[in-house]
Amino acid sequence: VSAEDPRFPRVPRRQARQAPPRRRQRTRRLLFVLVLGLATILVGTEALLRAKPVIAPEGLQVDVPPLALAEARACTRRADEPAVDEIQASFLPGGRVSSTQIYACPAAFDGLRITYVGEVIGEVIPRRGGAWVQVNDDEYALEVGPIGPHLDQRGFNTGLSVWLPDGLHERIEGVGRHGRRGDVVLLQGPLLRADPADGGGTTLRADRLEVLAPTVEVAEPLHRLQALVAAIMAVLAAAGLIWARRARQR
Amino acid sequence: MLLRPGADDLRLIGYYLGKVLLGLGLLMLIPAVVAAFQSEWNDLSAFVIGASLCGIVGAVTEARLASRRPLTWAHGMVTVALAWLIGSLFAAIPMYLSGRYSDLLGALFEGMSGLTTTGLSVIHDLDHTAISMDLYRHLLHFAGGQGIIIVVLSLFAAGGGRIGTLYVSEARDERILPNFIRTSRFIYRVAATYLVVGTAAMTVALLTAGFTPGRAFYHGINLFLAAFDTGGFAPMQSSVTYYHSFAVEAVMMVLMVAGAISFGLHFQLWRGDPRQVLRHLETRTLAISTTALFGVICFGLVRSGTYDDVGPLIRKGLFTLVSAVSSAGAQVNVDETYGTDWGVLAPAAIVVAMAIGGMASSTAGGIKALRIGIAAKALIHDVRRLLQPESALVLTTYHVGKRQILRDETARAATTVLLLFVVNYLVGALIGLAYGGYDITQTLFESVSAASNIGLSIGVTAPEMPKGLMSVYIVQMWLGRLEFVAVFALLGYLVSLARGRAST
Repeated sequence: VSAEDPRFPRVPRRQARQAPPRRRQRTRRLLFVLVLGLATILVGTEALLRAKPVIAPEGLQVDVPPLALAEARACTRRADEPAVDEIQASFLPGGRVSSTQIYACPAAFDGLRITYVGEVIGEVIPRRGGAWVQVNDDEYALEVGPIGPHLDQRGFNTGLSVWLPDGLHERIEGVGRHGRRGDVVLLQGPLLRADPADGGGTTLRADRLEVLAPTVEVAEPLHRLQALVAAIMAVLAAAGLIWARRARQR
Repeated sequence: MLLRPGADDLRLIGYYLGKVLLGLGLLMLIPAVVAAFQSEWNDLSAFVIGASLCGIVGAVTEARLASRRPLTWAHGMVTVALAWLIGSLFAAIPMYLSGRYSDLLGALFEGMSGLTTTGLSVIHDLDHTAISMDLYRHLLHFAGGQGIIIVVLSLFAAGGGRIGTLYVSEARDERILPNFIRTSRFIYRVAATYLVVGTAAMTVALLTAGFTPGRAFYHGINLFLAAFDTGGFAPMQSSVTYYHSFAVEAVMMVLMVAGAISFGLHFQLWRGDPRQVLRHLETRTLAISTTALFGVICFGLVRSGTYDDVGPLIRKGLFTLVSAVSSAGAQVNVDETYGTDWGVLAPAAIVVAMAIGGMASSTAGGIKALRIGIAAKALIHDVRRLLQPESALVLTTYHVGKRQILRDETARAATTVLLLFVVNYLVGALIGLAYGGYDITQTLFESVSAASNIGLSIGVTAPEMPKGLMSVYIVQMWLGRLEFVAVFALLGYLVSLARGRAST
């Protein structure tokens, strides 16, 4: 096409880069509505969470023996033998350890008799000769209680697999679940880093169990504002879907 | 020359995004019903808010943005890339309202991790979480594992030809049946069959492990959703370690392998043609790589003296390997112990297994066995060509559905995506290192896990992790799930929106 061809008039470069103003306005309006809508949803969600009624956790803190070691010292298997020796030298057999300390350097505690304190969580899983339990020693177990009544977030759950022989697991009266802090128990026994009876898992073979605190129900208060917002939005959504269906049929 | 998308293009994209959100809203109604039965009232209202938001947006887009224009490749790619991003954001709303996430970013991380079937989690106090919220997290695996676009195609779509671009853009290039909608429905039929059979098998395994019937079903359905959809969430923080049962681990391994098999091969099995499975390039690639890696893991664990007996060594090593290569991410070890108790070699082999991933067009992540197989074939082809006279015609074939000749463009496409995955892994690892609190083993392990949508963790991912690193992992999960192309198309679209020339 030559530049002089009357069928194709030359369009100034600047003009060619510009869309018709109305089309650009529509595009911008659409994008603006999208961003505004998303921002409103996010702000509204945040506001709803902040308005959630909470109960200050009371009576959930458990008196437990102090930890035998001050911190969780990490080691890598076969690469940090001095660290393992130092941990073992400073640890008095039978002292209390946390699950975090054990997993940071499992080799240091292998075969040692330990004391361990935590909340029985989930279920008591009966097997021949005893039962398996998961015992968490995180802050939800020992200090603040389950999230729900409060929003005091303290990170992941941490705990240890514990084998309780017959005669011990029957003493457990309640386990932790949603809205309930389970029995907090003090356990003693040898820790096995790679227990062959558990397919190589790290376990505590408890031979002593003492219930330090019984199960506590911790009901979550009803968030009335959230329930009201949900009801209004459900009506809006239903109406919107009916409207959309009719609009499509037209 | 870049052409600026107009309002009509955005309307079309918005229309299909609305359909995706409608699908997500329907999904939220399932845990809402469970919450009502369990009297979990705050969770019920959170799900109703999430579902209603999806419904309102879906209704507005349906009424105001409906269009008969056909979807182009650009529309399809951009819609899919945005669907996973916006879908994760909306999926995060009920989670955030539960109060178990540090902030919206944490909830978005969980939403993206759930939908992309990664399974890395930043939830606070999982062990006291409501049953309905737990089920919701696992249902996200189910929706995302098959593909959220596939949910939409299965439920709402008509006119398969027009929306085929969406199907392909979601990193699925295998059309099993003549049209996309029938293919999508076949995929959900397979998934639904496994849901019934898998949940039943898992429940029986849990009953034999000592669980009560109600709790066995609750754990069984969640574990099925996580295993078959190669997710990584679990009802308990201690993951599969919690169950102390070889039967549970065995059923999970079968389900993880089933999830890592492509839906094309499922179709062949469905038709009663198991020979296709044995001849398939991906089956052979996975068989060779998994056998070799299992040898390395066993050697590494023996050398580090982690287990005294052969039984535990094989049980832990095999489960973790299957979990990594299928990209399920279920754990039989506590996070930190991969670093503190497994030596160096075994975790390195797990990283390689995570990088390879499962089969293409399955629920698995990673580079995929197909690309590894094609890249290996291309390498062998080049060596053979060098050894032959120049005039010799060297042909290399492979079996994927049927016998095919290896072409240069196929090899180039496979190696390009392979390279992009490697770059993705390294960038994530380097950014992790830049934070200073982690070593290279930790950052590489976690970066590969996020980018390959695996879910195994060595302890980096936690509610208190740096927000910047959390954002990086969100992007890595997104890129890994969509295998880059759709995300690059979205970036190109945004550039043309800002700088492109208007179409006339």
